[in-house]
Amino acid sequence: MNKLRSIFIIFISMLVLSACVDDLDVTPKDPDVIMAGNLNDNPEYMEQVLGKIYASFIIAGQGDNGGADISASDENFFTTMRALWNLQEITTDEAICGWGDVGIADLNTQTWSPGNPFLTALYQRLGLSITYANDFIALTKDNSDEDVIRYNAEARFLRALAYYWFMDLFGNPPFTTEEDGVGKFYPEQIQRADLFNYVVGELTAIEPLLAEPGTFYPQADKGAAWMLLARIYLNAEIYTGTAHWEDCKTYCDKVINSGAYELASDYRQNFSADNDYRSNKEMIFAWEQDGVNTQGYVGTTFIIESCSDPTYIKAEDYHGLTSNTNWNGNRARKEFMNILVDTMATYGGPINMTDVEFSQAKDKRVFMKMKKTIDIPSPSSSGDYGIGVYKFTARNHDGSQAANYNPAYACTDFPVFRLADAYLMRAEALYNMGESGSAVADINVIRERAYGNTDGNITAGELTSQFILDERGREFYYEAQRRTDLVRFGKFTSGDYLWQWKGGVSGGTQISDHFNLFPIPGDEVSANNNIQQNPGY
Amino acid sequence: MRIIRKNLKLFLLLIAILFSTLSFAQLKTITGKVTDTDSGEPLPGVTIVVKGTTNGTITNFDGEYSIGVEAGQTLGFSFIGYTSQEITAEGRDVINVQLVQSVENLEEIVVIGYGTVKKDDATGSVTAIRADDFNKGNITSPQDLLVGKGAGVVITTAGGAPGSGATIRIRGGSSLNASNDPLIIIDGIPIDNNDVSGSSNFLSFVNPNDIESFNILKDASATAIYGSRASNGVIIINTKKGKAGRPLQISYDVKTSVSTPIEFIDVYSGDEIRQIAHSKPELYAPETYDLLWNANTDWQDEIFRTSVSQDHALSVSGTVKNIPYRASVGYTNQNGILKNTSMERLTGSLSVNPVMLDGSLRVNLNVKGMTTDNNFGDTGAIGSAIEMDPTKPVYDDSPVAAKSGGYFQWQNYGASLGVPNPVQRALEADNKSDVNRVVANAQFDYSIPFLEGLRANLNLATDYTKSDGHNNYPTTTPTNVTNPYWGKINNYDSKNTNNLLEFYLNYKTDIESLKSTLDVTAGYSWQHFEREGSSYTEGYSDDEHPYQKPQSSAYITENYLVSFFGRMNYTLADKYLATFTLRDDGSSHFIGDNKWGLFPSAALAWKIKNENFLKNVDFISSLKLRLGWGITGQQDIGNDYPAQATYIASSEGSWYPIDGGFMPTLRPEAYDPDIKWEETTTQNIGLDFGFVDNRVTGSVDLYKRKTKDLLNEVTVPTGSNFSNTLLTNVGTLENKGIEVSLEWRAVAKQDMSLNLGFNLSYNDNEITKLNLNNDPDYMVLYGDAFTGQKQVTMIGHPAYSFFVNQQVYYPNGMPIEGMYVDLSGQGGTVNGDNNDKYIYHNPVADVLMGFSASFRYKNLDVSAFMRASIGNYVYNQVAASASYDQMYQIGYWKNMPKYLDGTQFVKRQFTSDYFVNNASFLKLDNFSVGYTFNNAEGKMIPRINFTVQNVFTITDYEGLDPEVPGGIDNNFYPRPRTFMLGIGFSY
Repeated sequence: MNKLRSIFIIFISMLVLSACVDDLDVTPKDPDVIMAGNLNDNPEYMEQVLGKIYASFIIAGQGDNGGADISASDENFFTTMRALWNLQEITTDEAICGWGDVGIADLNTQTWSPGNPFLTALYQRLGLSITYANDFIALTKDNSDEDVIRYNAEARFLRALAYYWFMDLFGNPPFTTEEDGVGKFYPEQIQRADLFNYVVGELTAIEPLLAEPGTFYPQADKGAAWMLLARIYLNAEIYTGTAHWEDCKTYCDKVINSGAYELASDYRQNFSADNDYRSNKEMIFAWEQDGVNTQGYVGTTFIIESCSDPTYIKAEDYHGLTSNTNWNGNRARKEFMNILVDTMATYGGPINMTDVEFSQAKDKRVFMKMKKTIDIPSPSSSGDYGIGVYKFTARNHDGSQAANYNPAYACTDFPVFRLADAYLMRAEALYNMGESGSAVADINVIRERAYGNTDGNITAGELTSQFILDERGREFYYEAQRRTDLVRFGKFTSGDYLWQWKGGVSGGTQISDHFNLFPIPGDEVSANNNIQQNPGY
Repeated sequence: MRIIRKNLKLFLLLIAILFSTLSFAQLKTITGKVTDTDSGEPLPGVTIVVKGTTNGTITNFDGEYSIGVEAGQTLGFSFIGYTSQEITAEGRDVINVQLVQSVENLEEIVVIGYGTVKKDDATGSVTAIRADDFNKGNITSPQDLLVGKGAGVVITTAGGAPGSGATIRIRGGSSLNASNDPLIIIDGIPIDNNDVSGSSNFLSFVNPNDIESFNILKDASATAIYGSRASNGVIIINTKKGKAGRPLQISYDVKTSVSTPIEFIDVYSGDEIRQIAHSKPELYAPETYDLLWNANTDWQDEIFRTSVSQDHALSVSGTVKNIPYRASVGYTNQNGILKNTSMERLTGSLSVNPVMLDGSLRVNLNVKGMTTDNNFGDTGAIGSAIEMDPTKPVYDDSPVAAKSGGYFQWQNYGASLGVPNPVQRALEADNKSDVNRVVANAQFDYSIPFLEGLRANLNLATDYTKSDGHNNYPTTTPTNVTNPYWGKINNYDSKNTNNLLEFYLNYKTDIESLKSTLDVTAGYSWQHFEREGSSYTEGYSDDEHPYQKPQSSAYITENYLVSFFGRMNYTLADKYLATFTLRDDGSSHFIGDNKWGLFPSAALAWKIKNENFLKNVDFISSLKLRLGWGITGQQDIGNDYPAQATYIASSEGSWYPIDGGFMPTLRPEAYDPDIKWEETTTQNIGLDFGFVDNRVTGSVDLYKRKTKDLLNEVTVPTGSNFSNTLLTNVGTLENKGIEVSLEWRAVAKQDMSLNLGFNLSYNDNEITKLNLNNDPDYMVLYGDAFTGQKQVTMIGHPAYSFFVNQQVYYPNGMPIEGMYVDLSGQGGTVNGDNNDKYIYHNPVADVLMGFSASFRYKNLDVSAFMRASIGNYVYNQVAASASYDQMYQIGYWKNMPKYLDGTQFVKRQFTSDYFVNNASFLKLDNFSVGYTFNNAEGKMIPRINFTVQNVFTITDYEGLDPEVPGGIDNNFYPRPRTFMLGIGFSY
């Protein structure tokens, strides 16, 4: 009897315990969480995973549901386009920031080190967008659905774009593709010239798979791929030591000749809430921003607010944003004002302090305003000093309210490639190929739009390398391009061109050439033994 | 019921065992009466068992019993606090027994995992703290009873907010990113430390008045039986129970207390601000003077108040039909010193402890319920009151101000970055929550008849919490409080459900031939945790206030723990004791082979006093040496699915358009498929001693704890995972320390007694490995983009050390703004860069001490408790936030703390070591005087008591309070000074 009972007890116990041990196999219960194995259950999931790769460039993360994509001391500060903007603009004559946050002063004065949080964040975020893209490319590589094939090509474009920024700012990044898994491994470092070949190869491979220009704005299409190829060839000498002017021209031709794009008659429309391709055929590729659907203190909202202040450029008056406004950080240095506004030509002498908005300037690209003083007393002076810039706005270009208006977040998309760039890139390529006549024609297309007439047109004799650099500044200021241009023209570190507080000196000073590349972040060097620091750091 | 259903088979099995073993044998009835030897009073509730059978009974109210016995059988008489007796029936019909009060009184029982042990026989490091030793005063949460009471136990209250919680650290904490909270077990139920939203304290469901004892298990040999949840120590809380045979007892306590703010931050007056503004034209342009008004408002005085609170506790205990019970009801109404903050709580508890089946089945049923209404107000008003421009009045009768409810408000297109009016902020907040919780368990302890000394114990428990709350503001509130909305309507709710099933068998036997005692326990535990909740926020919209998209979010998550455990206690000749435990733990947090972890421990104790060479040394009354070793684990890592590949959808507002329409995005989440348990190995040497008739008792413990596979959120190589950081097992961490506790019964006379207590703990924490690469320079920085990164965790240093620039000073001792020592030697500008920073102290104290004194003379009693903390540093962020450029910024004037006089900084210098201050302190936490009236006529014993809490603090620290949670002093809710009058009656 006792024996029987013992057996019974053991038997029952085993049943009970094995049932309970199975409880340890859990899967998420939250309907917002999808297991990796279930992604094929719903076709929309593919679109949503692709959407994430795009969103990772412009906003901080998943909002209340999942928080920011990277862990950083402030989620909005360290989004891709905001960090990229800082690294491309406040390191140059175009901008200086008055905030005391860690890392800003180093960028203002070209004295950064591998610990700088902005370059760390940009590096990590570009790598993250690549990892998201790798995952999606691996996920969809055998999918034969027509849309999914296009999505796969778009993901490859976004990966190439991230690698392009890596190549431009950091030189030799860690290299991963869809063949690499996810976990704890140490990616190998790729050299800049090899990366150049890889990116060009990728873009030419996906060209036929992408949609025709202007089909699915703001998604990447053939136009975006051509522009990125043109941009990479434009800077090829910096990346590889060999110039590729003819290749640059080839892809600019494709864009201009596609017939899908035309310059906006009003320059400002490119920086207004209605700057998207649907209303503005100049916009080739941009990051979506929307007051209702794609929000954040990021991208153009950041540009608008950081350039506004409560005294001189009130966001309420100038831009139509009324909530949490006027951050009073960024404004231009006086050397850049001199490029944009030729005061001799405009005022017949030094600046006229009564015309604070430069209303007499004939170039309609001038969205600048003099503040307390033109000089900036110290690199950490408040945003009340210097030349205010109000080029970006949250209103439509005619001053009306945006469709998905939000008092805190702009609907203005962040321009990455617009048609004007195709003209100016082609002009620069032609100039370097010795075809100044054709180059001037392209430049004058841009000048005519800027002046509204031919008053600003130049002749082949007036065209110099300096003029091309300056014209790019006038056309693309505050669009996160300046540092790349200054590096290409040899002006970023050299003593040829000085601006206030360059190198931390009031009148500006030459800085070491190693600053042409940003350092690899210290966090990365200590996390991955395969990564060598850039020379000089 | 899910717990019953899931484990139905086990439950049925237990029932089957119960009924299959009932035996019916009865021959002769013996009656008698049990009395106390000294007083001759009858003893009710004495357990009488026929040895070797399951027959038993207990004495009635008059101490009488009757029981059936076979010839030659032996009766055992036992009663708590008395020495047991055994008497052979030998044909007698009446057996009257006198029991002698035991010398080993109740105090010497300590509670350990799955059982109790005489303190004398404990092999691990266990501190027991009983009601008499609790902190006194206006205490609403269990943690507060314990502050400073146990060596090695550091409790830091979150501040002075009503009902607020506290962090508890035992021996310094063993983790970095995983939880450092100890496991808390209340009446046998392990409590989930994860609180629901809308609750500020996960322990508040226990009324402090109901607590009988805390037992703090510190070393691994004591805690390892709890395996995966024991790395940070275990606190076992037992509540008061009804006792067998005790007469009806009613007690009622009422306390009224008055709390006042002790001190305010010293800020400039309106006159001083105007004077500063006019004296610094280089900073403040004359046109900004117009923005300064004429008032001299003391904003801190406007938002704080003297508050009155009440606490009522009623309890009834007794016996109904031999079933002991205790029921209690508590009501607390606590008002905070910040206006519009309060907590109102009703608690109830019932415990019933019947003994059935002739004493072989002991049942223990407990139900505790709580309902709390919290009013959190807006504690942001505390910071606003320091910053708000004192030249402005509280109210403004201008037409503009009518739109802001009559309060003065900075006007700027309906939006502002100016400081919100603190009074408006404090009073307009409608930030309330209702929290309801029920914790219930049923424990069955059955002495299995076919083998003497074998017990089976089943514990079924459930813990259910539900909260609803809202945090609303009207449209009159400044928009920077409600951004991006005008006004705000926020509703949230959450629900936690935890279920537990535990079953163990215990076998205890004396092997007389070997002079040995063996006590073996083996068991199984199953626990399920489920948490869910949601939150919804929208703004008001009308003609003036445009529509804003609402935000909503929801979550649901669960985890399971399944464990098998065993323990063996072996005692030889009452001199040598050995304990071995083993726990095999399964956690649903991990996958594959990592799911299970094995956690062993061993301890040896030597009762030196019982050796012949000490037996006759009268001076030494007890002496015991303890050696312990064990491994414990940690799996509470904040994410229930860290090893699984998942994608998470974005909430509205974080969408992106694909092929035409906006849609949520799906993000792959970072995960580590190889993530596993943290393991902490603890070594402990302890000595327990008592001298001069145990007038002086104490213990000394030395320990070393090493955590390996430390879970740390580390930077991963870019390109290798779906974020820049990953929670993974990378580090090692070491804690070393000494704990001393001493108690001296200095005077012990009939009419007068004086007891003095002292405890000291020293802990040293050091990180020994931190990232995947084993890079010695790797650092984890803490801080935000706006106020700088000024804490670091780095190899070779304590976790969360301050990481700052070394300030350079003028000869007169003033800091030179922005000038730091070039520690990197690289030259150039030395700004907030990490290369030039160094490690300068840390927030954790090196040495903590507690001193208690209680004195009684006849009916008068006086007690006091003091605490000292030595070597804790605080970063004074209130002082670091003061600069002249902040005083006027982007169109608004702001006040500054007067620390600015000492720095004269134009810009804030957050990374200067000037702001890291030694915050060592000595606090008189409470001082209490009580008087118990003579039991004159009836049985009612009234008692009155007057207590002052937070009497004084001696410190060099210049901030309001040197005791700062986390070491960053940034406008936390100040702890008030409280005067309390209590009256108690017991019947």
